[in-house]
Amino acid sequence: MGVADARAMHPGLDVIEAEPEADRRLLESLADWCDRYTPLVALCGEDGLFLDITGCVHLFGGEQAMLDEVLERLYSQGFRARAGLASTPGMAWAAARFLRPVPIEPGAEAPALAGLPPAALRLEPPACKGLESLGLRTVGALMETPRGPLVRRFGKLPVMRLDQALGRLEEAVSPRLPVAPLSVERRLAEPVVLEEDIERLLLLLSATLKADLERRDEGARLLQLALFRVDGAVHRLTVGASRPLREPALILKLFREKLKAVGGVDADYGFEMVRLSALEAAPFAAEQVDLAGESKADDAGLALFADRVRARLGDRSILRPVTVESHIPERAVAFVPFAGFAEGAPSKGEAYFLSRERPVRLFPHPEPVEVMAEIPEGPPARFRWRRASYRVAGAEGPERIAPEWWQEKEAGETRDYYRVEDDSGRRYWLYREGFYDKGETPPRWFMQGVFA
Amino acid sequence: MATSAVAREAVCALRREIARIEGTLPERLEPAEVAGSASAGADIVLRRQGAADGTAGLLPTGAGGLDAALGGGLPLAALVEIHGRETRDAGAVAGFALAMVALARRQATVKAPLLWVTAGETFPEAGSPYAPGILHRFGLPPAALLVAQGRRLEDALWVAEEAAALGALSAVLLEVRGHTPKLDLTATRRLHRRTQAAGRPLYLLRHAGEPAPTAAPVRLVVSAAPAAKRHSLSGALAGSIGPPAFTVAVSRSRLGMPATFTLEWNDDERAFNERRSDPGGVQDHGAVVSPAADGAHPQGTAGAGLAFRGAA
Repeated sequence: MGVADARAMHPGLDVIEAEPEADRRLLESLADWCDRYTPLVALCGEDGLFLDITGCVHLFGGEQAMLDEVLERLYSQGFRARAGLASTPGMAWAAARFLRPVPIEPGAEAPALAGLPPAALRLEPPACKGLESLGLRTVGALMETPRGPLVRRFGKLPVMRLDQALGRLEEAVSPRLPVAPLSVERRLAEPVVLEEDIERLLLLLSATLKADLERRDEGARLLQLALFRVDGAVHRLTVGASRPLREPALILKLFREKLKAVGGVDADYGFEMVRLSALEAAPFAAEQVDLAGESKADDAGLALFADRVRARLGDRSILRPVTVESHIPERAVAFVPFAGFAEGAPSKGEAYFLSRERPVRLFPHPEPVEVMAEIPEGPPARFRWRRASYRVAGAEGPERIAPEWWQEKEAGETRDYYRVEDDSGRRYWLYREGFYDKGETPPRWFMQGVFA
Repeated sequence: MATSAVAREAVCALRREIARIEGTLPERLEPAEVAGSASAGADIVLRRQGAADGTAGLLPTGAGGLDAALGGGLPLAALVEIHGRETRDAGAVAGFALAMVALARRQATVKAPLLWVTAGETFPEAGSPYAPGILHRFGLPPAALLVAQGRRLEDALWVAEEAAALGALSAVLLEVRGHTPKLDLTATRRLHRRTQAAGRPLYLLRHAGEPAPTAAPVRLVVSAAPAAKRHSLSGALAGSIGPPAFTVAVSRSRLGMPATFTLEWNDDERAFNERRSDPGGVQDHGAVVSPAADGAHPQGTAGAGLAFRGAA
């Protein structure tokens, strides 16, 4: 039925356009909220969530109590939710849609399913219609039917779904967020609003986390702070550490920078639950202090400094150059995120560069310049760069750098590099790309760097 | 009379207190009767807090004239401003700062890394640090270089302030392009104080900025100078570009003497030499006759000719 027909029948009809994207976002935020019950939350279709509550039930006072709490809290948020609780995802799915919200005991799946229509097995409508046309109106009838003909007629899916619901076949639910190896949380009777309170809580949590990490002889490399707001919104703050970390004070420092970077979290009515998880952990190298009681504290200070900068300004804000074995100047150095300062053996490219005249500053994207040369293939005599013209007083070169044909299909052109000094003494690195005698386009000149 | 003596005492105490807060400010004195070592040049004696002091806490550049004008060298625990008049001088400005870092590194026992901080469009405009060039020219390996970039100047200032207080870095380079009101007396003083506490230099590189009030005790204006020619056995090679040269103008120092010097960086020794004569003097003379082994013969002088006495 079209909108026009429907309006003809009911003139007062309110039409709202479907917004699958917004629905999806809502479901995801609900999934975030459900994180409080278990770290294993998975999306299920467009309107469902799977919560793997294995081992979490006792925290909420039993299965029935947990089910009631979930439903009640969702209801108070304005959602009409249905829930089912069972030992298998398939059974729970069916229970949520067709049964009362009562936990189904392990082993009681078959009687519970028997009276339900085939749609309870997560089958598409055409398949359900096909089954019903054969008189298989309930799952109980399906269970009694010989499996061979069923598979031949309808494929493996109905039988597989049945087995999954009954627990004969293992079914994995993949959580939408990575499960942290360690997490510590605290539920609060009274919501917290102030940043200082959050920081104090964070200290308490990280002290607990420290004990756990010590037991495992590990330190956290990636930490996440999840703040569950009263109205269901969840804030997640993640900080990375360049060396395994477990000191509460240091963890607090990192999160403080992160909080500053995001301009503080919007507490609104306050947070009712705070969780600190170590998303990544690494072996913690215990350090021996020397007689003066000092270890390599400087290095640790540098790592912490870098972590704080990264927490505040982003991952690519503090970088370390690494030489790469490449002749192309702009490729010869890669910037990698700083991860601990280590002055070991020089990397491979370094010996090569020790004997090469290279500028101290390089333009990652060479800038085109207009050049006048005395002879076509000679050094420049004058050039124009950034709307200013320069007279060349001396030039050294060329140093020919050929393209790396083994690296790329569309190899660039050969470059002839010149060191050039202008009449006021500034030294530049210019190159000519291409040759005069071949090719239709004349060679072009570029500015690549400045020397000291 | 007694009151005036007491008052003078109070003023002296206040002066000392101010000197203590501001850092060690030397007094510029006339030579002669003051006892103490003439540490910087022939006619200047430095006194710090009453006592004559040598070059402790100073990093000599190795160029005698510049060191004398700076009172012994660049301070090791202070904010040092290095200005470039234009953005295209960025190579020379960065080069001079890196040279100072290299000089300090040579003396240091622990090879700590260097942090280069900047914000916004400085690197695209002036060029990003190029590790192979820095390694070749100044001997600073890529592993000893850290680069921090913030989007806004506030970010860069924050990073520099945090880094200035950190003992694990050998030096901090803060690079700022253009004129900005954010880098005022207060901001530079904050940087300077933290640097003093940490005991390592912070070089504030500024391009194309007006000289603004600053808390830095030293401000240099650096630009490139024409390099000398390369030399071979047969003399200078025409058209060649020798070791890099810098024109360094002292625009603010503890001695308050404006002066300009031309420095040459020696790649092999990794040290500065002061250039006495201009490079124009080092021309290709095209000498074809080898010079005498025992040096040039003194030219015969006319002397006080007795024979002319009669004529006079």
